[in-house]
Amino acid sequence: MFNWVGRERTGETVALNNVSFAAGGGEVVALLGPNGSGKTSTLKLISTMLLADAGAVRVGGFDARREGKKVRRQVGIAVATERSFFPRLSARENLEFFAALDEVPRRERTGRVEEVLRETGLEEQAGTLAMKFSSGMYQRLGLARALVKRPAVLLLDEPTRSLDAAATVHFWVTIRRLARQNTTVFIATHNFAEAAAVASRALLLHRGELLTDRSVTAREDAARPAEIAEELRALYFRLTGEPMTSGAVAGESVIGESLIGESVTGLGAGFENAALGAKATDKIRRAGAAS
Amino acid sequence: MPLWAPKRQTRFGARERHHELYFDKLSAILRRDLLTAIRHRSGFVVTLVGLFTELTAFYYLSRAIGPGFRPDGVAYFPFLLVGTGLYTFFVMSAQAFLSSVQEAQQTGTLEVLMTTSTAPAELIILSSISAFAGSLTNLVVYIAAGAAIFRAAMHANFLSCLVMLFFSLAIALALGIFAATFQVAFQKGSALVWLLGSGLWLLSGATFPVQSLPGPLVTIARAIPFTYAIDGMRAALLEGRPIAEMASTVLGLALFVAILLPLAFLSLSLSLRRARQFGTLSFY
Repeated sequence: MFNWVGRERTGETVALNNVSFAAGGGEVVALLGPNGSGKTSTLKLISTMLLADAGAVRVGGFDARREGKKVRRQVGIAVATERSFFPRLSARENLEFFAALDEVPRRERTGRVEEVLRETGLEEQAGTLAMKFSSGMYQRLGLARALVKRPAVLLLDEPTRSLDAAATVHFWVTIRRLARQNTTVFIATHNFAEAAAVASRALLLHRGELLTDRSVTAREDAARPAEIAEELRALYFRLTGEPMTSGAVAGESVIGESLIGESVTGLGAGFENAALGAKATDKIRRAGAAS
Repeated sequence: MPLWAPKRQTRFGARERHHELYFDKLSAILRRDLLTAIRHRSGFVVTLVGLFTELTAFYYLSRAIGPGFRPDGVAYFPFLLVGTGLYTFFVMSAQAFLSSVQEAQQTGTLEVLMTTSTAPAELIILSSISAFAGSLTNLVVYIAAGAAIFRAAMHANFLSCLVMLFFSLAIALALGIFAATFQVAFQKGSALVWLLGSGLWLLSGATFPVQSLPGPLVTIARAIPFTYAIDGMRAALLEGRPIAEMASTVLGLALFVAILLPLAFLSLSLSLRRARQFGTLSFY
């Protein structure tokens, strides 16, 4: 259980309030909620980017506050910030740099960097300076950076936001494969379709509180994701009391719609648009921890 | 494509392994900064031009004042050369630490860097070393150019110079860490560096002997480490004074370093922790 209170110049904002959950190896946990619900803050707390005001975050038995370094060795995070790379270094050079700081042994470094470049489809752009990358390429590079340390726990913040259809499907396949290899994956998203496609569990967050922790059992079943997404969506609106909306709501429709198309193409299953309403987000004022 | 079986716990216990990792990280950071500098050559050229322009201005200033003015018994140009060289070194070093934090905040790399297996404070210090090395190189080039091109007379005692350089580095390190701390804690690192630059220009004796100042200001000047470092370096480089004759200066500098360095490390560590607690790590 942990809390995090973000401080702003005008006062305090309770970004997470008594949120408590656990996840085991091989689980893919979707953190679902609108902007400002506390998804990114949760990921940042697990990664030690933020420290909890109360309660504890434990990863692999280590306390994030007292044993931060041991926690960081096990956690890889791909943040939503696109340009968190050194612009005048190539993709490969950036990955080599972060691998060194992540204490990847020197003799394994080149091999691992090439492996994640392949895995994220960046082989051809490996020598390109990061400043020339598009949003989607940055996002892939962010995933590659998170993977290069071979983390036991992988944290992904809106991982497919800027990916094209093929890359999104490839990404989902990669996540499933990582889960089979016992990696715990947390995905922060506001898209029910994405959660239904890859997650084994869904945590619904709203205004910093955990509304429900629900099992999503049919991850491998291509026929079920649409139903699961719809169930999650209905559950969310029932629990929050937000007015039910049909399809996407202003501000989030682009992401939702693009994922529908990608899902149809890639998995052979049509997803109904299930993006969360943006209305709820207006009521939550957030500082640096906004999802 | 095979991926991997993640390990729940990894151990890097041995001291040798720790040192190896430390130098490995340092070389990665140096490589990053070297590649960035090579791909951004204009910055280097501008620094070099600025350095020579400044040197030329001081040379003609000393000529305009004339040979009769011999502060501390040495010619004015060598006096200025060492004073302004060290002054620039201190300010540039603080600026280097500050820039390293500011750039990381602005590009969004700071938060990500804080999630690597490298301790946050260690990371900031390592990240600043390249720029720090750059300001040291500037100092050496500046003084060498002053001696070679403008014929500044020098009678160096190399051991004394090395000792003074060591203490100057330690003080610059502490200063830089304080600037980084201010940036992380209050997002006001630039204000601190500006204050430092102005204060040092007046009080450190970089351009004139501190004895020229009114009594209270002389007392303040004698209470800051930069005055000792500049005086000591002048004595070592221009007068060739052996280290045994500089005991009080060395003792004073050692005392400053013993107090300032641990305080700087502690304050940086606390400010980083506070920023992670309040979510202000990427605020700038």
